[in-house]
Amino acid sequence: MNRQDKIRNFCIVAHIDHGKSTLADRLIELTGSLAKRDMQDQLLDSMELERERGITIKLTPTRMLYEFEGETYTLNLIDTPGHVDFTYEVSRSLTACEGAILIVDASQGVEAQTLANAYLAIDNNLEILPVINKIDLPSARPDEVKDEIEDIVGVPAMHAPCISAKDGTNIDKVLEMIVKEFPAPKGDENEKLKCLIFDSYYDNFKGAICLIRVFDGKVKIGDKIKMMQTGKVFDVTEVGIFTPSAKQTEFLLAGDVGYLAGSIKTISDVAVGDTITHANNPTENALAGYKKVQPVVFCGIFTVDGAKYNDLKDALEKLKLNDASLEYQPEVSDALGFGFRCGFLGLLHLEIITERIEREFNLDIITTAPGVFYNVHKTNGEMIVISNPSDLPSQVEIDYIEEPIVKASLFTPPEYVGAIMELCQDKRGTYKDLTYLDKTRVRVDYTLPLGEIIYDFFDSLKSRTKGYASFDYEMAGFEKSELVRVDILLNGDKCDALSLIVHKDKAYSRGRAIAEKLKKIIPRQLFEVPIQAAIGNKIIARETISAMRKDVLAKCYGGDISRKRKLLEKQKEGKKKMRQIGSVEIPSEAFMSILKLDDDK
Amino acid sequence: MIGIYVHIPFCESKCIYCDFASFVCAEQEKYFSFLLQEINNSENKGQTVDTIYFGGGTPSVVEPKYIADTLDAIRKNFEVLKDSEITIECNPNSVTPENLDAYHSIGFNRISFGVQSLNDDVLKFLGRKHRRSDALLAIENAKKVGFENISADLIVGLPKVSSRMLCSHAKKLIDMGVTHISSYMLQVEEGTPLFKMCQENPQILPVEDDCAESFSKLVLLLSKYNFNQYEVSNFARIGFESRHNLKYWSGENYLGFGLSATSTYGNRRWTNGGKFETYFKGKKEVEFLGNREKIEEKIMLGLRCYLGFDIKEIEKLGYKISEKEDFETFLKKGIIYEKEGKIYLNPKFYSVNNQIISKLLP
Repeated sequence: MNRQDKIRNFCIVAHIDHGKSTLADRLIELTGSLAKRDMQDQLLDSMELERERGITIKLTPTRMLYEFEGETYTLNLIDTPGHVDFTYEVSRSLTACEGAILIVDASQGVEAQTLANAYLAIDNNLEILPVINKIDLPSARPDEVKDEIEDIVGVPAMHAPCISAKDGTNIDKVLEMIVKEFPAPKGDENEKLKCLIFDSYYDNFKGAICLIRVFDGKVKIGDKIKMMQTGKVFDVTEVGIFTPSAKQTEFLLAGDVGYLAGSIKTISDVAVGDTITHANNPTENALAGYKKVQPVVFCGIFTVDGAKYNDLKDALEKLKLNDASLEYQPEVSDALGFGFRCGFLGLLHLEIITERIEREFNLDIITTAPGVFYNVHKTNGEMIVISNPSDLPSQVEIDYIEEPIVKASLFTPPEYVGAIMELCQDKRGTYKDLTYLDKTRVRVDYTLPLGEIIYDFFDSLKSRTKGYASFDYEMAGFEKSELVRVDILLNGDKCDALSLIVHKDKAYSRGRAIAEKLKKIIPRQLFEVPIQAAIGNKIIARETISAMRKDVLAKCYGGDISRKRKLLEKQKEGKKKMRQIGSVEIPSEAFMSILKLDDDK
Repeated sequence: MIGIYVHIPFCESKCIYCDFASFVCAEQEKYFSFLLQEINNSENKGQTVDTIYFGGGTPSVVEPKYIADTLDAIRKNFEVLKDSEITIECNPNSVTPENLDAYHSIGFNRISFGVQSLNDDVLKFLGRKHRRSDALLAIENAKKVGFENISADLIVGLPKVSSRMLCSHAKKLIDMGVTHISSYMLQVEEGTPLFKMCQENPQILPVEDDCAESFSKLVLLLSKYNFNQYEVSNFARIGFESRHNLKYWSGENYLGFGLSATSTYGNRRWTNGGKFETYFKGKKEVEFLGNREKIEEKIMLGLRCYLGFDIKEIEKLGYKISEKEDFETFLKKGIIYEKEGKIYLNPKFYSVNNQIISKLLP
């Protein structure tokens, strides 16, 4: 048996919460890759944020050794995220594998992301091994779910192992089938070097680290390597594997999955999807790489302390290395100063990135309301794409505007169909189709404006269906729409960071809701502050914050002076965190609060 | 010239809003022997003194002989000027005509009554032991024994006290011959019974606007009777301002004796232990006042009262306030004004002084 015959590169895909990370943990445990005492739940979710939320955000590779019929096999597992926003991460890890385990929850059956991820795997020519998980649940119905997989996904499932990753039932069967079912890599060690960078991250000591899959050839310490896309050349300072912690090795050969470091200090020199080859003996053909993903949700990110702009820039650069789908460009706001306009794959992606900036880089940031991008056709025949409401030309210059539309599929128990249709209607959706998948599940298809989805759609869906419905969408082009920009004026001064683009019919209610919300959030000032919502010069809503009448009039005698002084010092510090719009001070939360208008209702 | 404060940490009962160092029952004998010792051992002995203030707690609940002994000790150890202002705080119910006479004869010339309100229901709610009639009688008696400088405290922002009621109380006090009124907003301090009440039922206190309204009505009424708002919460007829308190506000040196009392002398501020054990052990908390602290206090205290602060003096300490943007804005808007090199807060903005001061700090 040759060396590569004993390697299996595979990933696990599933709908969110169907048990990917738990199965990964069991596999690692059973192959003894880690002493039991080092086990921690959800091993591969190394980010603090991932463990807290119980979701996988980043793909993580790990190598396991497994004895089967007298031979020792190397199993390289690449864990993947399950949420719709991170589909891009999934597709990246798939190209590094030959096989994919498709986990399906034994009681919930096939869900939106089961389907989406399975198709991704099929598109990448991966061998698919269905696994039915959570058979320990009383509501488990493994046989029906097997039928579902065959009917809906269209892959054979009768032989699928029925397991409980939680209890550790039948995990050995999964390992056995990984070896039996998944093909071995078929690279050539003697060929010219060809490795795919499927992910990267930044290490403060070693520079940018590339996570690679070697397709052909061999790479070792001291090799001169070239990034085919950027043309940059580096000396390899370290190669290694993940066990799951990084462990240095002498070399990596065709078929292997591991990492490579080369004192790469400039982050932009590493492009995920790029091919690495030897500088002196390069391969002619680069690997196909990845198609660039388009961000669909945009918002401005600014630091609370304006002086920290460069720290924010640094943070975004480092996150970008680890998350190729993140896009950003500098932006200047009258209200918030220097910052960045950032593009994300979805709202969860946005939320995760902003939380990572705050936690991993220790920065206090302000994000503006998320929006989408629009095609603005001007009367002079020009078409511009804008994502920042401030960039919208004046009404007279606009011929018409197009907004992005998505095809949405909602999976739900039949009793919530009414609620879902009502929600979609309310969100300016167009009904397309309704399919009964089986007695307990219906699929509802709608087209919806993307801009409506990013504004509290998930939360409304969850609350209206008690969490039973799931939801997936794909971009489906543009549609003409009557959109206007609503501006917010504080004491007569426009606050650019609070502007937003909305449909004409919703402008009044949104404008009013924002004004009401701001009235609650902005503290009273020394003078009266009118809050107005306006479309162009037309005021559509008005609230007034009355002037502050009193501070606490406290005694200030001999023993109170120090305490009083410290109180005022603190108050002064607090004011630093406020943003000045004209003569009005507003707290940072105000900018984010307009995202959550419906919370109070 | 310095001022001396003496803390008498005893009360008949504790009011629901009080977070002062005061104790209902305690060893008075022992306390006063320590207090005398502290005065006798003061490292600032021999200084000239022109204001003395006995506060608390309630100085009037202890035997007048303790008060007399303490005042004697101060006179022995310090150069107390003849025309010094010597104040004692009294509770209307615990002060008898005999005691008032005793205070006056040993040299007290200013008396401050903790009236707080002239409505019996409100007084009951606050946990005060006195009633309206006690307050009026006490003021009457004080006048009888010869006090000409009488102050009364009134709390603003009490439940069920309308601005009309508050003003009628103030008016009554003026009619009775009071020459000085201190008026504070009711403050809910953590750990007090009132704090607990407010947590359980936040509606019991009036809203911000109503408090502000009451206060501004009170200011109006008092000004009509020639009571000047010489500090954000203090009102007096000309010549009856509290000289002792003005010492605090003008940044002069003062010594504090007794439990929890604070002294400031030069660059040092120190505070005695706030419990009997810590006080008896002589524990002190010491703070060093650098230029920054001095600048901040000059601005803060100066703007809170009619003394203002001196721009040059602050510049000498290293702060060019005139270069501050907010300073310019406030001047232009008339929120603060300049007169002969000094900066004053427009009294119209006394009630929002925190907002303004915090923006002017370095």
